[in-house]
Amino acid sequence: MTVSTATTAISTASAARRTDRRIRIARRAATPVIVVLSLGGLLLWLSTLELDSIEQRTLNWDYIALRTGEHLNLTIVASILVAVLAIPTGILLSRTRSRAARGFVLGLANVGQATPAVGVVILLAIIWQTGYTTALVALVIYSFLPVLRNTMIGLEQIDPFVKESALGMGMTSGQVLRRIELPLAVPVILAGLRTSLVFCVGVATIATFINAGGLGDMIVNGLKLQRFPVLVTGAVLVASIALLIDWVASVVEDVLRPKGV
Amino acid sequence: MTPFDLAGLLTFWSRRWDDILELMVEHLVVVLISLAIAMVIGVIVGMLTWNKPIPAAIVIAAAGVALTIPSLALLALLIRPFGLGWTSTVIALTFYSLLPIVRNTIVGLREVPPSVLESAMGMGMGPIKRMMSIQLPIAWPIILTGVRVAAQLTIGIAAIAAYVAGPGLGTLIFNGLSSLGSKNALNFALTGTLCVIILALVVDAAFVQITRLTTSRGLRA
Amino acid sequence: MPESTDTALTQIASRTDGARIVLDRVSKVYPGQDAPAVEEFSMVAEPGELIMFVGPSGCGKTTTMKMINRIIEPSSGSITIDGRDILSLDPSELRRHIGYVIQQIGLFPHMTIAENIAVVPKLLGWSKQRTAERIDELLQTVQLDPGTFAHRYPRQLSGGQQQRVGVARALAANPPVMLMDEPFGATDPITREKLQAEFLRLQESIGKTIIFVTHDFDEAIKLGDRIAVLSERSQIEQFDTPAAILAEPANAYVRSFIGHGAALKRLALIPVETAVLGAASAAVDHHRIATDDSLRDALDLLIVTGAPAIGVVDRSGSLVGSLTVERISTALGADATALAATRSDEGRPA
Repeated sequence: MTVSTATTAISTASAARRTDRRIRIARRAATPVIVVLSLGGLLLWLSTLELDSIEQRTLNWDYIALRTGEHLNLTIVASILVAVLAIPTGILLSRTRSRAARGFVLGLANVGQATPAVGVVILLAIIWQTGYTTALVALVIYSFLPVLRNTMIGLEQIDPFVKESALGMGMTSGQVLRRIELPLAVPVILAGLRTSLVFCVGVATIATFINAGGLGDMIVNGLKLQRFPVLVTGAVLVASIALLIDWVASVVEDVLRPKGV
Repeated sequence: MTPFDLAGLLTFWSRRWDDILELMVEHLVVVLISLAIAMVIGVIVGMLTWNKPIPAAIVIAAAGVALTIPSLALLALLIRPFGLGWTSTVIALTFYSLLPIVRNTIVGLREVPPSVLESAMGMGMGPIKRMMSIQLPIAWPIILTGVRVAAQLTIGIAAIAAYVAGPGLGTLIFNGLSSLGSKNALNFALTGTLCVIILALVVDAAFVQITRLTTSRGLRA
Repeated sequence: MPESTDTALTQIASRTDGARIVLDRVSKVYPGQDAPAVEEFSMVAEPGELIMFVGPSGCGKTTTMKMINRIIEPSSGSITIDGRDILSLDPSELRRHIGYVIQQIGLFPHMTIAENIAVVPKLLGWSKQRTAERIDELLQTVQLDPGTFAHRYPRQLSGGQQQRVGVARALAANPPVMLMDEPFGATDPITREKLQAEFLRLQESIGKTIIFVTHDFDEAIKLGDRIAVLSERSQIEQFDTPAAILAEPANAYVRSFIGHGAALKRLALIPVETAVLGAASAAVDHHRIATDDSLRDALDLLIVTGAPAIGVVDRSGSLVGSLTVERISTALGADATALAATRSDEGRPA
């Protein structure tokens, strides 16, 4: 009886693992399918419409490509800056023994999370200037803390005994960081970057309020000029970009995640 | 570029404190309504799917996709069918609240030790009784944490809803934008932003208290 | 790095078959704590000796051990390995020549088993070829098939297999000294017994100087050449061979640690061949025990079978004598007398 229970347990476990794998594959495939379907649907719907002159001015490939380019530029440049600034800061902070510095940063990260993105963007425009640079700075400020926090958490969640045995085997603390801690923290750090990328796509939409371009322009113009097709096109494109970027980030996460973890 | 003027800001506050307070209450109310709706939907969906791996995965993935969509895009899309204002705002906020709530409900219900469920079953409790008097109370702190995350998220997003004539503190922020260049622009935007932060922190603290008060004493750490 | 560190390490490293470890009045005081965690600890471990530190949790046994590879820095006192003061060496360099096994194992989850074992050889700059050969050899030593396990990841292994890898990893660069902190503590009883037996066999062939921390007195008896029974602040209550501690506990503290059944535990340490055997006859040949089994096994067989005497066979299987309960009891008495005699000859080991 014990034997049969054990076999059942094993087969249930492997069935669960198979289900997990199937779910993962399905999820991986689902995003591109959803994006292609919604973009296709959008195109089909637009092709049935009689566009007036105002709509024709925005609903053409050149205009859309320009706005999409601006949007992607803002998102990606901001994310790269955040990665370059926040990850090393997180590593440095996790090295310090100062509880106060850590507490301050984590507390700041919480307040940062409570701050509305639209507030940051508009405040910066008011006290500084409107335009691309301001939008970029706002995006960096806004995404900095989550990535910083994930870097710190990623380094701190590593099993202390793994670090102890690395030290005990004679690695210097620099070697422990490079060969053990950073590789093991990669999934958490990447998850932070992924969140920040998706964040940036959303916040870049708001950049239109301060004349920094992007697909937000189409949404806002569509609203102001009461041109629903323009608005829908902007919204669907932005949503598709967000989904695709999240999808690409998830693929990268899977590739870079250390095997065995 | 507007220089910061503290005296001006204080005057601004003393003149408009009743407006500010009203917008703050509106902001809170729209968030609470959305959370309540999302909680009813989220917990029910979680209860129906927690022990079915495939539906649970689909629900969590769908809610994840939903969360990815930029809020301005979603709000814009809701205007045609639901018009400007409260309805679109509540729908959008509910939509964004679903992921944390559903996910935490499923995680929380799964966290209940099998031995506890088995002994409940052994005592003759049916599935509904088990869910209501054993699983839900044990999962409760985790579900509330989900609601708390959703609250933080929606308080921020609600600020954008003012752009589509939604209620709340976003109105102040957008007033600042539209009066760009005037001396009150900074006062408007700063007040709006600060009030959103304060609201978020107060609500977060309230959730800590609620979690403490509504969690069985045996489960408190 | 200073020259002297280099030469000192080369000397330590060349003694692959065990080095002499001397701890002299070593203390550890943690800042903000009044009582020292370890106070004036002195001990000499001879080359190739397997020394067990036994004591309750929190007595400072692990702290004492971890000062030898400077995972914990001593507050005062000196520690030498083969006469070299380890406190003057670079800690990381030092640790590469001391094997280290902990209860939690601490395998690197993102590295394969082979990569885990290769860590220290890589740090020491071994060639790829030499490292690969060593990995193969070590996996065979700890009874894991290299073809099956070398390229697996730690989480794909059972607890017992992981701990074998932990031991193999610590042995990788053939260090003269091994520090082991309850290495088998987290495994189930059956796996533990198997690992202990394998470990004993391994130590017979490699002869390292090993400091082994455990809270399990039976494990200490089974494995140790000598046992240090420790109390609060790592004070040594008794430091002697397992047989001597069982026969003559120094005080009430040690006695309480031994627990019940001291005589039975001692019998387990004495092989059948040391007893004075009775005559071999066909009458005793129904039940047999081998000369290299323990007297405890013999007693077990006598009780289970209810026979007045059992036959003793040598390795070739031929009957050489017989054993009775009386003879076992006499052997136990003789063992105690012999122990006392050695003791008065040599004096108590420090």
